[in-house]
Amino acid sequence: MLTVENLHAGYGRARILRGVSFALAPGEVLVLLGRNGAGKSTTMKALVGLLPATGRIRLAGTDIARWPPHRIARLGLGWVPEERRIFPDLTVAETLEVGRRPARDGRPPWTPDRLFTLFPNLGPLRDRPGGRISGGEQQMLAIARTLMGNPRLLLLDEPSEGLAPVIVDQMQAAILALKAEGVTILLAEQNLPFAARVADRAVILETGAIVWNGTMSALMNNPPARARHLQV
Amino acid sequence: MDLFLLQLLTGLAGASTLFLVAAGLTVIFGVTRVVNFAHGSLFMLGAYIAWSILSRLPRSPEYFVLGLLAAALATAAIGAVMELALLRRIYRAPEMLQLLATFGVVLVVQDAALWLWGPVDLAVSRPPWLRGAITVAGLRFPFYDAVLIAVGPLVLGLLLLLFHRTRWGLLVRAATADRDMVAALGVDQRWLFTSVFALGAGLAGLGGALSMPQGSANLHMDLAVIVDAFVVVVVGGMGSLSGAFLAALLIGVLQAFGIVLLPKITLVLVFLVMAAVLVLRPHGLLGKPQAESRAEAETLAPIRPAPAILRRLGLAALLLAIAAPFLAGPYLLTVLTEAAIAVLFAASLHVMMGPGGMASFGHAAWFGIGAYAAAFTAQGLGTSMAVGLLLAPLCAGAVALAVGGLVVRMSGVYLAMLTLAFAQIAWAIAFQWVELTGGDNGVLGVWPDPWAANPRTLYWLALALCLGATLLLRRLLYAPFGYALRATRDSPLRAAAIGLPLPRLRLAAFAIAGAAAGLAGAVFAYAKGSVFPTYMAIPHSVDALVTVLLGGVQTIAGPIVGAVAYTVLQSWLLTSEFWRIKLGLLILLLVLAFPAGIAGATHAAWLRWRGRSA
Repeated sequence: MLTVENLHAGYGRARILRGVSFALAPGEVLVLLGRNGAGKSTTMKALVGLLPATGRIRLAGTDIARWPPHRIARLGLGWVPEERRIFPDLTVAETLEVGRRPARDGRPPWTPDRLFTLFPNLGPLRDRPGGRISGGEQQMLAIARTLMGNPRLLLLDEPSEGLAPVIVDQMQAAILALKAEGVTILLAEQNLPFAARVADRAVILETGAIVWNGTMSALMNNPPARARHLQV
Repeated sequence: MDLFLLQLLTGLAGASTLFLVAAGLTVIFGVTRVVNFAHGSLFMLGAYIAWSILSRLPRSPEYFVLGLLAAALATAAIGAVMELALLRRIYRAPEMLQLLATFGVVLVVQDAALWLWGPVDLAVSRPPWLRGAITVAGLRFPFYDAVLIAVGPLVLGLLLLLFHRTRWGLLVRAATADRDMVAALGVDQRWLFTSVFALGAGLAGLGGALSMPQGSANLHMDLAVIVDAFVVVVVGGMGSLSGAFLAALLIGVLQAFGIVLLPKITLVLVFLVMAAVLVLRPHGLLGKPQAESRAEAETLAPIRPAPAILRRLGLAALLLAIAAPFLAGPYLLTVLTEAAIAVLFAASLHVMMGPGGMASFGHAAWFGIGAYAAAFTAQGLGTSMAVGLLLAPLCAGAVALAVGGLVVRMSGVYLAMLTLAFAQIAWAIAFQWVELTGGDNGVLGVWPDPWAANPRTLYWLALALCLGATLLLRRLLYAPFGYALRATRDSPLRAAAIGLPLPRLRLAAFAIAGAAAGLAGAVFAYAKGSVFPTYMAIPHSVDALVTVLLGGVQTIAGPIVGAVAYTVLQSWLLTSEFWRIKLGLLILLLVLAFPAGIAGATHAAWLRWRGRSA
């Protein structure tokens, strides 16, 4: 589904990513782990074309490096940013409409009704402006908005950050439901227990390079690796 | 009472065209974050194109309406071309650069219109069916004004429908909030921006076309309407359509009554209302705090003390400048005097714009206040030149302190437009208060004291004062004040968090810049022997901006290099026909090809050369 080879990216003169390579198979959930500033969000921004990057990025067999963001999105890369970036003046229904793109062959397209089933909290808020709903609801709306584009691959940047435990549970259920539908997901997380419950494989980033790579269960059975790369 | 009603209706009719222009401006700003200085030029083009079309068509109502719409469409097409050719390349550039680039378009369009339609005002005689009057409450009121009154709300309604009931409008509203996010959702922003710009341009063109049957198409309507439109957009709240409508009504009615009741101070009145609104509601009537721009900004390289070679070059240039009277003829000496003044004028603006990070589009105001202060001390008080040279920077600095207290909290484009507005007030006072300032005739006979009357002595005096003040300003940037100022520019939040008094620092920089420009103005007044309102006019503010950008905003040597280059350039440009188009194209070239200016580009080349040889 996605192959990343030797990805370099940064802001201005500050180089953040120094040769990151990994791959995702269709239907897989891969989590990017790492401490603050390790380069998780930067990897995602580089993948969606919002940061100048060098290296090879292949999505569904097409090299998308240096493509403009809208073409990458149309090819099927859906990104849910860490800050959620909700349009404050648009209602929930309008926000979903902004994300709407044609269906991708072979899959039922996402509709507001299906999304309100996935995120039951959003249904009653249909006509509420995005700026006037809670943080958890905004996170759900951000994911729903991206799903309206029927992405092949979903990039979720810290979906559990700053949410109440009960909302984190709902988020986990939603991600597992998406996984059950066969959606390929690249997740960035700091919350290891959350990641352990949804991800198949893990990649650990440290100062812009990959330092560990393996299955999620291998990581959970390897306390020394966790201590070395993830403990603060 | 009857007169009151009639004036009110006239004001509402004027408000409609004003709203059309302001609506286009605000829509474009909302999405692209570009303040389109050339919006008045599009209005003017709309009027001229309408003239060209209407004077060839039969004079029946249906052809009249079709002609107006065709003019609006043609202007929209021109707007689309402008977006594709220019704006698309500068969306990520600093605001001042964008504002300046669109001002380059203003100059180009002025000369293009002069060339195409000639210098004579063009009018369309009203067709008979438009000449009638309707009766309102027993009063005869022109039919065309009634049509105009209806057009405003009609267009507002259509625009609101467009933005709230179509997918295109939805995408535009989303892009107004966060354009990168919209792109990441698969929307091609490029055509979105182009279409928004075309819509805005079309509205301006329609406004210009609609204003034709009432007045005429002329070469001055662009700057006149853009200043009014800025006021409307700021009062209404940047990006708010309904706000622009309310503000257009307010300003239109105010102008209609002002012309009858207080003709002398109409312009001032409008700006006073704007100031009052902004004090009460800093984001305008219906505006919201501007969301931080989501574009990833370039980090600015820190400024460094000049390397030894540059110091030696500077010293050599200084010695040459001191020796100039022995080498140069009288004409060259005049040019050099002007260059010295231009250096200080540019350096004062640079303090605000570069290290201060405050955009100013009205820097000529301080220059002019200094010049008039010198003129009044020479004429009114009859005291020596020394008093004038002392009072001028004090006056300009004091006024800058007062105005700055009101405006330094504003950011980016608001500040640019408010400084422009203040400069227009100052200009209007100088222009309209004939008893005091002589109006357009200016104040004449501002001669230096006998000891300095000799051109050589005057040149040395100008050199000493201007370069001395410039070096002082430069010294200031390496003092703790300068560091603190740059900290507030680079990260206002963090600067405030470490305890830097943000508004006070910016206010101090604003007042210092004003005082320094005032000194430049006073020296200029004595050098020329006269003072005119044009010293405070928009083109003079633009001169300062071009100078700073020509030299390079983020280099200390920039304003000096830029002032010398621009003075020489101007003495060649201004003598030629169609100088506006040349200056306009120069500005565009500068913005597109050398955004870092001469000094910045030289510095980069120097770094590359050293990198290769090392």
